[in-house]
Amino acid sequence: MPGRVRKRSPLKLPERPYIALGLEGSANKLGAGIIRHDKDGSTTVMSNVRHTYITPPGEGFLPRDTAQHHRDWALTVINDALKKAAVSLHEIDCICYTKGPGMGAPLVSVALVARTLSLLYKKPLVGVNHCVGHIEMGRQITGAQNPVVLYVSGGNTQVIAYSQQCYRIFGETLDIAVGNCLDRFARVIDLSNDPSPGYNIEQEAKKGKRLLPLPYATKGMDVSLSGILTSTEAYTTDKRFRPNGDGEDIITPQDLCFSLQETVFAMLVEITERAMAHIGSKEVLIVGGVGCNERLQEMMGIMAKERGGQVFATDERFCIDNGIMIAQAGLLSFRMGFQTPLSKSTCTQRFRTDEVHVAWRA
Amino acid sequence: MESATSRLLASAIQVSQGAEAKVFKAYLHPCEFASSSTSPSDASDGRTPILLKYRFHKHYRHPTLDTTLTKARVAGEARAIIKCLRHGVNVPGIRMVDTAQGVLGLEWIDGKSIRLLLGGGAEGEDETTEEETEDDSHEIEEEDPFDEYGISEDDAMRMIGTEIAKMHRADIVHGDLTTSNMILRHPSSAKGLQLVLIDFGLAYTSTLAEDKAVDLYVLERAFASTHPASELLVASVLKAYQEHMGKEWLPVSKRLDDVRLRGRKRSMVG
Ligand SMILES: Nc1ncnc2c1ncn2[C@@H]1O[C@H](COP(=O)(O)OP(=O)(O)O)[C@@H](O)[C@H]1O
Ligand SMILES: [Mg+2]
Repeated sequence: MPGRVRKRSPLKLPERPYIALGLEGSANKLGAGIIRHDKDGSTTVMSNVRHTYITPPGEGFLPRDTAQHHRDWALTVINDALKKAAVSLHEIDCICYTKGPGMGAPLVSVALVARTLSLLYKKPLVGVNHCVGHIEMGRQITGAQNPVVLYVSGGNTQVIAYSQQCYRIFGETLDIAVGNCLDRFARVIDLSNDPSPGYNIEQEAKKGKRLLPLPYATKGMDVSLSGILTSTEAYTTDKRFRPNGDGEDIITPQDLCFSLQETVFAMLVEITERAMAHIGSKEVLIVGGVGCNERLQEMMGIMAKERGGQVFATDERFCIDNGIMIAQAGLLSFRMGFQTPLSKSTCTQRFRTDEVHVAWRA
Repeated sequence: MESATSRLLASAIQVSQGAEAKVFKAYLHPCEFASSSTSPSDASDGRTPILLKYRFHKHYRHPTLDTTLTKARVAGEARAIIKCLRHGVNVPGIRMVDTAQGVLGLEWIDGKSIRLLLGGGAEGEDETTEEETEDDSHEIEEEDPFDEYGISEDDAMRMIGTEIAKMHRADIVHGDLTTSNMILRHPSSAKGLQLVLIDFGLAYTSTLAEDKAVDLYVLERAFASTHPASELLVASVLKAYQEHMGKEWLPVSKRLDDVRLRGRKRSMVG
């Protein structure tokens, strides 16, 4: 294929070991992770600590309360990460933090912690794009070289592929994100938010039997999910709906979770396949919180196999928002000479994946 | 149960696997199957090839969903192509339809996709670290792939714009306008040089300027993501499109501005 030539990575092997601290808090998870890049090119996760803000069933997390949670837990989580890694902040080369995208108040609360540590310990700051963090950590853990990436989380749904120092967005949601769609439905049927609404939907779906028709809406490499959410919700007012499931010809919450998952995931797999066909790639990497859903991984795996390809995914330690991914992406750009000066160490709620210059890749 | 369709598929050779279908080349002469110990790809005896687009069972999705989607897509694609043919849009002719088996038989187009001609695709597949030395002598003179077709890259872009305008004037929205779904028919073929639109699996009928604008927006994004630094190419496509849309251009152009703006503003909350 034209354009497929071997290229030399611009990232030089480090002349000494580098260590980075990564801080993440763009949504309801607060994470701190410490990563090391060694002279032989190897990467070690020294620690990866997370604390999640969990709301009562039926309730979402609000920016103010989430920011408060992050402030309350920042010291505990960071100290824990340092202790587990057995390093002190003096030994660290840079402090990486999530610049965006995400919820304003939580982002700002974590950036403030990062700036304070930077001044106290005289360490450079590196602002990181959250999505690029997910992609780089996924590549690192799975060893996928140049996959098509499906990025699925509470706030994002994108099909991404790398080309010319940029993660380009091939397809995305035209309205709400898949995680948001699942979480909102979980709230409608009062599922617990512990450990996450998405996890509980997955468990309920395993007990579902009946596939109910829902609008299937792919548009080229894009998807639309709001119509599906509305239609799934509408079934809860159907006269056949039985929250506790007894009788003939009934619809249970489990059936709805099952139908929602089957339909939405089929759409996501389809647009991923379109991107793979279009650019001629055989690898898929799933990242983001919804990426730990085993049914999604299974479906993607079958699709990839039918194309002679392979799927790569990570478990909840790396899929769900975490600090280590921010450390990984941040350290890669730091090694390319990138730093965020204090005066520019702001946050931004909107920060598209394709705005980042991926200097460390060929 | 062995149907005529499955016999035909069995005699065919796969040429590619597209976004949702396996694509085969076959010949519509059942009597020749028995004697053909030679490869069916030998077109030298003057037989006309056809293309079989086989939407095979997708095991990843629920069987009920799969059956519904496959039937709808095969029938929908056939319907859209017939409508295009009636309005003189360059599309492959229809040779057979079997919705139950998910097979569509189309006229074979001799040529290359625009994506291949523009050289877009996955890159950096094999990144090497600095140890692996490698000489840089692979940088051979680049040839213009459009030379073979006797046209310039810009001519090809104008042909794309013209064909999309013809399709939109017939109120057909493609739904998946990427450079993979356009073939430049080779000048040596019977119908001569043509830009042919393919892959109408997501097509639908609409008179709305909004839908046509979204079609163009999909195309713009496909260019931007697959062929970096292609702004001038897209400009040529749109210029030819505008010329052929006549007074229908204005409403579409207005909606296109809106759609672009919405795209950039789309919430990217983590
Ligand atoms: N009529 C045709 N003649 C020749 N090649 C074709 C024709 N139709 C499709 N192809 C080739 O097969 C590939 C896949 O076909 P397409 O209709 O786009 O299926 P999919 O929906 O799977 O993408 C195209 O990219 C093109 O290279
Ligand atoms: Mg196609």
